[in-house]
Amino acid sequence: MTDDLEHLRRSRPDRLLPDDPPDPEVLAREKARLMAAIAEPGDTARGSAARGSAARGSAGERGTGERGGAVHRRTPSIYPRLAYRDEVAALEFLTRAFGLVERRESRMEHPDGMLAWLELGDGVVMIGRAGEERHGLHSPLDAGASTAMVNAYVHDIDEHYRRAEAEGARIVTPLEDMFWGDRRYEALDLEGHRWHFAERMPGTRPRPPSR
Amino acid sequence: MEGSDGAVIAESLETPGAFGVIFDRHGSTLLRFLARRVDPAEAEDLLGEVFRIAFERRSAFERDRDSARPWLYGIAANLVAKHYRSEARRLRAMARASALRASAARLLDEDPAERAVAVADAGALWPRVVDAIGALPEAERQVLLLFAWEELSYEEIAQALGVPVGTVRSRLSRGRARLAELTHDAPLASYHASYHAGGGR
Repeated sequence: MTDDLEHLRRSRPDRLLPDDPPDPEVLAREKARLMAAIAEPGDTARGSAARGSAARGSAGERGTGERGGAVHRRTPSIYPRLAYRDEVAALEFLTRAFGLVERRESRMEHPDGMLAWLELGDGVVMIGRAGEERHGLHSPLDAGASTAMVNAYVHDIDEHYRRAEAEGARIVTPLEDMFWGDRRYEALDLEGHRWHFAERMPGTRPRPPSR
Repeated sequence: MEGSDGAVIAESLETPGAFGVIFDRHGSTLLRFLARRVDPAEAEDLLGEVFRIAFERRSAFERDRDSARPWLYGIAANLVAKHYRSEARRLRAMARASALRASAARLLDEDPAERAVAVADAGALWPRVVDAIGALPEAERQVLLLFAWEELSYEEIAQALGVPVGTVRSRLSRGRARLAELTHDAPLASYHASYHAGGGR
């Protein structure tokens, strides 16, 4: 089959480097860990979860001791829920343009609306459909204004800005260096929720505490 | 070791240990997938994560489904997306390795001609493909690589990512168009023009 994906197919890493088979020892070890985690959901699972997510932030851990609870997932103690007329389009946009990552396994789909949880670093944003019967939350499209702003730190603000703009985010404050050491910009998503993206630039110090 | 994945997972709700069968059936496939996408050491860690997440979420699995594979792919793809730095490192390492192999094949002339050509070709192309893969939006990269590298069907990708088949098709065609432009060094202007004309979806 020759088509435009042929190059991509042939570029698959293990076709370039075929000496890269799955290691049976790795499989055996990971299975043993899995079975231990299944047998003792209390300790073992959390131990390995901590190992697996050591790089993540220090958000408070929820679900300790919950049976089948969030062993590997940390949900921050505080996180916002945003409402959209079209929450499915919002999910697609936020992942594509702003680089948020969905906790796919958390998604809840109902005929009258979907709930999704999106992560950026150690932060979480929940999105759902707008409506009076849905906690009285409204889309800025209906409210005629945004009444909150989500603030997020990212790793490469210039690249983040470039992508957001290229993917159709409405930039409302251009990229700029702030006196407190952040480089930041602000953008609106599809329905007008306001997002503030920033990166802490190296070499800046926090201001000395005021007396 | 009998019964569909759906039946095994249903059984594991009563008898958790039964879930090990799911690992036996799909662990190797998922490890290969992860090793293609992130650092080798990270792939091993993520393999465990995939199955621990799957175990915790097993009550959400639709038990009339024969195969858990698309679902596991979806969990794994999500984890890969959270390790984009590792993914970028993996791509760079592959670019270097393939360029080395390509020049070695030319120098030593050991390979059968056809293979040498293929290796050299891939070596020349790979850095551009790497850049293009890295430049794709997350959603398009996932769909494109699940399709081209993992050889999943549209339906399986839709199951994995929890999106309608139509969305898989549109992401795939957007990703293909973008990949073609990026690997051929063409300007992106026409893509963006058509994208915005299409109403942003």
